Amino acid sequence: MTVVVGPVGGDERPDHLLPQQASEAVHAGFPSPAQGYYNGPVDLNRHLMRDPTATFLVRVSGDSMTGAGIFDGDELVVDRGLDAHDGNVVVAVVNAELTVKRLSYRQGQMVLSPENPAYPEIVLSELDEATIWGVVTRCLHRV
Amino acid sequence: MSRSTTSERSIAIVDANNFYVSCERVFDPSLEGKPVVVLSNNDGCVIARSQEAKALNVDMAAPWHSIAPIAAMQGVVAVSSNYELYGDMSARSAEILSRYTSDQEVYSIDESFIELTGTLDETIAQAREIRRAMRKLIGLPVSIGIAPTKTLAKLANRGSKQNAALAGVCNLGSYTPDRQTAILASVDVGDVWGIGRRTAKKLAPLGVHTAADLRDADAARIRTRFGVVQARVVHELRGVDCLPIEQVQPEREQIYHSRSFAVPITTVTELEEVLSVYTQRAAARLRKQGSLTRLMRCFTATSPFSDSAAHTNHSVSVAFPEPTDDAALLYRSAIAALGPQLEAGKRYVRAGVTLMELTPRDEHASLDVFGDGDATPPAYGAVIDRIAGKFGEDTLGLGVAGLRHRRGWSMKRDMVSPRATTHWDELATVKAR
Repeated sequence: MTVVVGPVGGDERPDHLLPQQASEAVHAGFPSPAQGYYNGPVDLNRHLMRDPTATFLVRVSGDSMTGAGIFDGDELVVDRGLDAHDGNVVVAVVNAELTVKRLSYRQGQMVLSPENPAYPEIVLSELDEATIWGVVTRCLHRV
Repeated sequence: MSRSTTSERSIAIVDANNFYVSCERVFDPSLEGKPVVVLSNNDGCVIARSQEAKALNVDMAAPWHSIAPIAAMQGVVAVSSNYELYGDMSARSAEILSRYTSDQEVYSIDESFIELTGTLDETIAQAREIRRAMRKLIGLPVSIGIAPTKTLAKLANRGSKQNAALAGVCNLGSYTPDRQTAILASVDVGDVWGIGRRTAKKLAPLGVHTAADLRDADAARIRTRFGVVQARVVHELRGVDCLPIEQVQPEREQIYHSRSFAVPITTVTELEEVLSVYTQRAAARLRKQGSLTRLMRCFTATSPFSDSAAHTNHSVSVAFPEPTDDAALLYRSAIAALGPQLEAGKRYVRAGVTLMELTPRDEHASLDVFGDGDATPPAYGAVIDRIAGKFGEDTLGLGVAGLRHRRGWSMKRDMVSPRATTHWDELATVKAR
């Protein structure tokens, strides 16, 4: 989890006014010298993965999600540790395949929608078996 | 062994069900519900089976070429083993477990012993939570056996798999002493952890046929006749904890070398020194017992008890395309994989090296175990030569560091699943259609 730390009481060094990533608990008051404010160079892994153990990278095949900015060949960061909520882009298992769709609930029914008018949405009744594989948190797109 | 309601400390074994198959299914849901077998790379034998394949009586260790025609008719799907994928999933599961315990022993690629603290109900609740987390975070189904000792935890684990009503969690303490005795009486002594078939044969004339018989045997007599290891099993079955977590097992299914440091380390250079020593010790033990390893796990962790910093546990695994006992290779692989994980400013107090998936060196060299019959075994030597000719000496690529080429077993290329978690160009595909 990225924690943005604002000013920490007690010390007026300008460093403290800069948002930074804290990987450890932050206590108010005079900071311990061991705590340190230099966390090394910015680290994409840490920035992109809330929980690396529960995070998987997958590659997109197809263009049904272009409306969400997800294109053929893009890589997705998928966090299995998050609970899927209405409006999330998710990887779901549909017809024994991993598929990427926008999740919503309509009158108690799970709906998996593409973001491209050329594709139909999938409405799943309670009887259909669809499982959410993980929540898509990032799309890595080559520009 | 007595029913305990106030037990403070128990040992749990967490074991992934049909681990290799379950790993394959995470990235290929079409394998779900089907009979699936995983084949060894070299000799094409069945080394793992899904529940459905077990139900069809597909033999473990059966040479695939001899059973393929029938298996295909039964709808059995065969995949080649993908040790990099399994190693990565194994490291992930070990990391998840480390969130629930401070005392953990990764016993094999798919099993860990962990210490749980609390009452009977509390430990069962913790085990259910672990099971939920493993399923949700990495998609693996696990079974958990809980008991006062490792040996009994192993038995409880069997129970958790055999009795569907337990939903994957069995604490032996849930049963009355009489019921526990009945459970132990239903287990063949050869199936008791640490006993094995050969000892079981020698125990039979003494009237020891089941786990319950062994528990009630004269420990001193067992010690005189069989040795201290077997006598320890007797005590373990009585609920006396003789095999603390992390103790190296006599069977040496894996080699584990781990120590806490006198002074915390903070730099890669220090870690290199530590790993240099650990990998050499582990390699020496490996050579001494005449084994080769196929999979190495290394970890380094900060103290779980330090109050300020969040506990960090970096765990990486390296799969070797060919089993090895080369200390230099182990060392280089360990550094390449673990070095970049180190976080600046963290104080690491412990590190370890585990060598897993051990095979006897002799067996590996000749590997004509199944070559007695008329059927021609796969040309093992020729396969090796082909790989060397095609890719050169660097074929022994380091898993995590990145071996770009697909493996050269052209014969089985179609059955190898992508190394979805360790190779950028082999990520699992999600359909946007």
